[in-house]
Amino acid sequence: MHISEGVLSAPVLVTGAVLSAAGVFIGLKKMDYEKIPEVAVLTSAFFVASLIHVPIGPSSTHLVLNGLLGILLGWMVFPSIIVALSLQALLFQFGGFTSLGVNTFIMAAPALIAYYIFAFPVRKTNHFLCALAGFGAGVTGIGFGALFAAAALIGTGEAFLNIAKVIVVVHLPVMLIEGIITSFCVIFLKKVKPEILEVNR
Amino acid sequence: MHLEEFAEGNSFFHRLDPRVKFITIIPYIFVIAFMKGLNGPVLSLIISLVMIAFTGISIKKLLSRLVVVNAFVLLLWIFLPFSYSGTEVFQIGHLKATREGFLQVLSITLKTNAIVIATIAILGTSEVFSLAHALVHLKVPDKLVYLFFFFYRYISVLHEEYIRLKRTMTIRAFKARTSIHTYKTYAYLIGMLIVRSYDRSQRIYKAMLCRGFKGKFPIISHFHLTIADLCFGFLMTLITVLIAIISKNG
Amino acid sequence: MSFGYANGRKIFNNLNFSMEKGDRIGLIGPNGAGKTTLLHLIMGLLKPDSGEIEIFGKVRKEDRDFTEVRQRIGLLFQDSDDQLFCPTVEEDIAFGPLNLGKTHEDARIIVRETCEKLGLNGYEKKITNRLSEGEKRLVALATVVAMHPECYLLDEPATGLDEKTTQRLLNYLRENTHTYIIITHDLGFLKNVAEKMYVLSDSFIKEL
Repeated sequence: MHISEGVLSAPVLVTGAVLSAAGVFIGLKKMDYEKIPEVAVLTSAFFVASLIHVPIGPSSTHLVLNGLLGILLGWMVFPSIIVALSLQALLFQFGGFTSLGVNTFIMAAPALIAYYIFAFPVRKTNHFLCALAGFGAGVTGIGFGALFAAAALIGTGEAFLNIAKVIVVVHLPVMLIEGIITSFCVIFLKKVKPEILEVNR
Repeated sequence: MHLEEFAEGNSFFHRLDPRVKFITIIPYIFVIAFMKGLNGPVLSLIISLVMIAFTGISIKKLLSRLVVVNAFVLLLWIFLPFSYSGTEVFQIGHLKATREGFLQVLSITLKTNAIVIATIAILGTSEVFSLAHALVHLKVPDKLVYLFFFFYRYISVLHEEYIRLKRTMTIRAFKARTSIHTYKTYAYLIGMLIVRSYDRSQRIYKAMLCRGFKGKFPIISHFHLTIADLCFGFLMTLITVLIAIISKNG
Repeated sequence: MSFGYANGRKIFNNLNFSMEKGDRIGLIGPNGAGKTTLLHLIMGLLKPDSGEIEIFGKVRKEDRDFTEVRQRIGLLFQDSDDQLFCPTVEEDIAFGPLNLGKTHEDARIIVRETCEKLGLNGYEKKITNRLSEGEKRLVALATVVAMHPECYLLDEPATGLDEKTTQRLLNYLRENTHTYIIITHDLGFLKNVAEKMYVLSDSFIKEL
């Protein structure tokens, strides 16, 4: 879901940067100095998890898990994602620094949506509903991510309409897989270490 | 995990002060990102290539990196030529590829590569930790920089944990397929990784308390500006202004 | 003193333990007996459910009571990666002294002295992450030594170390420290460093 450098128009880049800056600002306000190791090492774990390729039919996809990260971190998902994307921009030139704002927003905003809708049911409800909420969070993370990426492209020019459609369509199966994996993941965490679901309290 | 493969070396670029690097590259790449047409992008790609030539980075390594970056650009080459109206170049079915479309996607390709190559030449030639250090001095919120420090520090530690977990799956005859069982197994693997990272963060925090952590991180400064840094800063600023003017008029 | 974890696991039930200045204590016991837990209770990283902890002649209850304890007692963690969280060796060693209010100049001197003591000269600018397991352990010890504690708590310091590094560690302990508790599973190692031995099991501690 990374959009490369040099593609998007100036207004889109600036809008993305401003929105993400606001998100990061709020996220940092909610993150005390004592929280830094917790958020950071969780981010490392998600970074490593994103290197995992899971099979999907004849192809494979790497995991994003932004919905799950959102449930765990709330607003702190913005700082978390921006440091992860900065590192990718720095080391692999994935995404990049001019599109850092847009790419951060594409991943972090859906995570935040997932947090507001699904964090409560994940924490408070029974096994079945918790699994369902986890599924919802995974689908939301990828689904809205693809929509925001498409919006950034269409905002750059109508010529990008077809590519935007393709991006949304190829993410449909990914949505499903992220939903399934996030669902099993929240159940696992709830059983093994429920306090992780309270990190952002 | 070997991550900083371009940071090894001793070229002019490897020795530059990371603070100067940030101050010069940010305007440079944004000017390129905001460009339209072809003149500016061609010129900036040439400038970026000159920079990378000075770093002594092997062409093979550079190319392997550019291939990955251009995957997205390739997608654009498939769609964009057909999405602009204008002079027809060729036709497939009722899809018309236009000259305007090709120019547009060519411009994007040049811009993408100019930015990426400059990023590798300027930022890739520094150690990640020293770049992060520079950000503290450039008034980036310290919480964000420390988040980055800790995050980067523990990637390799968690990657090792991941390898260990993966190995225990392999010796128990796990094979990845498109099946619920596979996804469930990966979910538990990731869950375990998250649990371990959480436990580790608790121990790290305890270790910080033991060493008198009171909520602030002390900063040790070790940057010294040299004449070379100032010259580079001046030259880059000049170049950035020039390409901005040229692309506007061209 | 009694202590149990939030998940319901009871560790200590009316445990009694005391040590004096100059004691060199070895602590052994089966996995899960609470050896590490005991050290963390001493440092105030965990709080007892009942009973009291008295250190340096004062009862310690609140977090701020332990601030002084953490300055005067140094804990070496089992996993060096937990302890070395700064980018470079120099910053890691300086972290404690700077928190104690030392100036940057003083901190630099402490870093140099500590490195000399532990044979880590030339390691100052190295990235901690890229050190070997043995080097990491020595640097972790250096971060503790840099705070000049009067007493050391060492959680399995020799685990995973080769003979040579273990020897370096031993020499340092013998020559530069007087009071410590060492946790280990290695009885051979313990005979070399400890004058008193305690076994911790089933929430009891007794001298051997």
